[in-house]
Amino acid sequence: MGSVVLVVRLVLADVRRHKVQAAMLLLAVTVATATMALGLSLRGVSDALYAQTRAATAGPDMVALSGMTDPDVTAALAALADDPEVVAHHGPYRIVYADLTTRDSTSSPVVVQGFAETPGTVNRPLVTSGQWVRSGGTVLERGFATALGVGAGDHVTIAGRSYPVVGIAVTAATPVYPWATQIGPYGGPGDYSGLAWMTSSDARTLASSHDLPVTLALDLKLRDPAGTEAFLDAHRSATLRVNFHTWQFTAKQDLVILKDSQPILVVGSWLLGFLAITGVAALAAGRAAEQTRRAGLLKAVGATPGLIAAVLLTEFLALALAGDALGLMIARETLPAVASPTASRIGAAGLTGGTVAAATVLAVVVAVLSALRPTLRAMRTATVTALTATARQPRHRPWLTALSALLPTPLLLGLRLTARRPGRAVLQACSTATTLIAIVALLTLYAQPERGYGLDGSSVLPNLRGVHDRRLMVAITVLLIALAVVNTLTFTWTTAIEARANMAIARTLGATPGQISAGLSVAQLLPALPGAVIGVPLGLGLLSLFAAGNWELPSSLWLLGAALATLLATAALTALPAHLAARRPVAQTLSAETA
Amino acid sequence: MQDAVLAMLAKEPSHGYHLRARLQQSLGPLGESMNPGQIYVTLTRLEKAGLVVCERADGLPERPERKVYALTPAGQQRVAAWLAEVGWPKPDLAEFHLKLAAAAAARLADPIELVAAQRRELLRRLREVQQAALAEPAGTGAGLLLEGVVLRLRADLRWLEACERAWSKADDEVEDG
Amino acid sequence: MNVSSAVVRACALVKTHGQGQSRVRAVDEVDLEVPQGQMLAVMGPSGCGKSTVLHLLGGLERPTDGELWVAGRRIDTLSERALARMRRRSVGFVFQAFHLVEELSAAENVELPALLAGRSRRQAGRRASLLLERVGLAGRARHLPSQLSGGQRQRVAIARALANDPLVVLADEPTGNLDTAATLDVLRIFEDLRSAGQTLVIVTHDERVAATADRLVSMRDGMFVDDTWLAGSRTRGLGGLIGLGE
Repeated sequence: MGSVVLVVRLVLADVRRHKVQAAMLLLAVTVATATMALGLSLRGVSDALYAQTRAATAGPDMVALSGMTDPDVTAALAALADDPEVVAHHGPYRIVYADLTTRDSTSSPVVVQGFAETPGTVNRPLVTSGQWVRSGGTVLERGFATALGVGAGDHVTIAGRSYPVVGIAVTAATPVYPWATQIGPYGGPGDYSGLAWMTSSDARTLASSHDLPVTLALDLKLRDPAGTEAFLDAHRSATLRVNFHTWQFTAKQDLVILKDSQPILVVGSWLLGFLAITGVAALAAGRAAEQTRRAGLLKAVGATPGLIAAVLLTEFLALALAGDALGLMIARETLPAVASPTASRIGAAGLTGGTVAAATVLAVVVAVLSALRPTLRAMRTATVTALTATARQPRHRPWLTALSALLPTPLLLGLRLTARRPGRAVLQACSTATTLIAIVALLTLYAQPERGYGLDGSSVLPNLRGVHDRRLMVAITVLLIALAVVNTLTFTWTTAIEARANMAIARTLGATPGQISAGLSVAQLLPALPGAVIGVPLGLGLLSLFAAGNWELPSSLWLLGAALATLLATAALTALPAHLAARRPVAQTLSAETA
Repeated sequence: MQDAVLAMLAKEPSHGYHLRARLQQSLGPLGESMNPGQIYVTLTRLEKAGLVVCERADGLPERPERKVYALTPAGQQRVAAWLAEVGWPKPDLAEFHLKLAAAAAARLADPIELVAAQRRELLRRLREVQQAALAEPAGTGAGLLLEGVVLRLRADLRWLEACERAWSKADDEVEDG
Repeated sequence: MNVSSAVVRACALVKTHGQGQSRVRAVDEVDLEVPQGQMLAVMGPSGCGKSTVLHLLGGLERPTDGELWVAGRRIDTLSERALARMRRRSVGFVFQAFHLVEELSAAENVELPALLAGRSRRQAGRRASLLLERVGLAGRARHLPSQLSGGQRQRVAIARALANDPLVVLADEPTGNLDTAATLDVLRIFEDLRSAGQTLVIVTHDERVAATADRLVSMRDGMFVDDTWLAGSRTRGLGGLIGLGE
């Protein structure tokens, strides 16, 4: 009872006193868990949205499609409709391949489906604005309409003729925009295209007046919606060119647009988590002496080692779990936008238990890994030693000292500072490498040639998938860079604080404040250099794990530029804390050390 | 003592008992051991030396014999000389130092033992003064005096420590050699 | 001396630091008994091992050899955890550097050991305000250590040491960082504790602190070289000290 009060009190007091560290841990964990939760949720959310759209639109279990319109195809489709496994059907109906142009002359391929003015029992597109098709008017699929920027009441030109857009609707019979084609003209490969509906007679007129290619489609409702594979096996025919798209296939096709989003988010969350650990661990290491002393005095008044560990771990865990909760909340709010970049689906989706658990595990891992070293140190250090703890005395490295003596003063100071804390140098290198991995990935994404969704791959209608991926990648990169910036500032400041006695002595020996702050900057830059060198190939290697076979490398000039820019930014970032630390009056520092 | 009493009369003539009260106030617990008659003995000596004069004042009916003491010009000169004087009591360390040397040379006693005994004695004294100082409310003149005594005793104790170190080293050298 | 009345008892206590050639005997076969209610001072030059003795008595360090009892219970064989419990029940520490938890207020610092011992928040709070009043800091309960003077901090530390009504208070150079006035404040509190029957062991190199004790042990090179009883033997009177009455 008493110890619970005590742990809570100590944790609260420590958080109050070290707001920056607390805020940093909270933020880093929030960002990492939100990203991870989003990444892990994509598949489930996409499925959930498909299922909800399917339920709302009486989506067919199977669509039979044929690029031929000869009588035996019609007969075969009619026979399918009569199959005892089929409990309801819709069609056969026409799918006409045409071009659509908006009033601001954005053109796109479109498939026009001819539907009855009163929908049947299967495949009843859900009108989200305006009304359902009537003679002379067209209804656009919502994902397509959104990409075009067209709403109900506008006019569009299909195959040269103007139609009023009477409504906007969604359907589960086709995959999300831009994969509405299902199959191309005459059973061939399809292009990115949108979906529009007209009345059956308008569709027929459209096809015949311009002699446009037509596909016949039949929507089927099966007795056993899960038994689509068995139905397929029973009706596969070598002679008839009929394609079957099961609802499972369509649901899977929805995911294509998210294919790269998932690795971007998941790998991004690992990198963010990693940076969170390095940053928080460095901050914690900077406070190690203080933590150890506190542990010592708690032990002296009778706290058991378990309680000491509990105080340290509780603080990190509580902050990490708060960050986790915040991250999950953010993930839940942004989920629809991230998981459904098109407007082709309706419904809402939450986070699954598994995702919540995985994000929480990430948060706990970040907390435990960052708290591990200070906790172990505090528990292990003998009480008496702990009470008089000062910052750990760095090991003496005579060869480095000898080598650095030959160098100009800032380099000399920087090299010695780096050598004092090899662990931190490694963290700084990792931090730089992580930043570069993200930048390389971002550059690579931008270097990929891309087929737009407009007519003949025109980018008048941008490639939504590419846009979505780049947007996510930019977000992840910005977050990573932000964390890396905070890390670099932390590393420099911690180094400056720890080395201030030595630096003050160097000042009494005649080093200028400028040389000191340059030395502090060099101390961060030295490990950043190998970090940058490793980061580029690491980024490319990581990409090759996830990217499709043939991808374009960004030009080596860009890669070199990115590495240099990162180093320059590091130098600039270290300048401020280094400058502040170097300006501290020598006498003040020296007297503070002896006090 | 004589000078202090004279100086106290410099402000105005005073009764003997009044002088005694003022002395005790300044000395605090250190003045407790002062003999009640001591002030009168001192005053009588001063009167004989021609430094004070004694006048019989009209006393109250129940205490007729009241004497008021006042400074003579010679007394005033003596007070001025006393104030200007910068003499300071000399710490008498030589005696103990010689005692140690003699004891060691003649093997009469172990100098370290002598130091220890002396130290115990000084510590007991320190303890007494210390307790008086703790009992004294902060900021009184007596407290200041007690602080001075404490500091003197601490200085002596430190010197004894130095003696002990030196004599133990001498001991070791004898044993080693 | 009756063994059972000894709050702290050490037999042939040895503590060595380091290994091999650089092995140092910080405490070299020390025997000690501190009876209930005694105020004991341990004096010696720095590095003589006096702080180590105190750490051993409080279970902050383990002896290399020898036996150690606190309140009749042998503690040199206890586990780290059991030692921690022994400390919170039987021992109160006062350090030269105060060692207050900087981010907790004075009252919260004093409540700390009581909460560790499993008392309720209210009990701990009541005890803390009582103790702070006793050390004359009732008005500073909500102050952070950084807002207090050195003397006040040490008084908070003493109040904290008393939180669980310990059998013995162990003080390591309690006035080492204090000026004269603050030293007197601390000594007054010790004097107070002594008259209330509190057992105290004080390690110091300040003769003035040592002189407040009932008994003084002197240490050199890890060994006790002198054991003096200071209390009770009255000297010639205070006046004699300044040359009065001679």
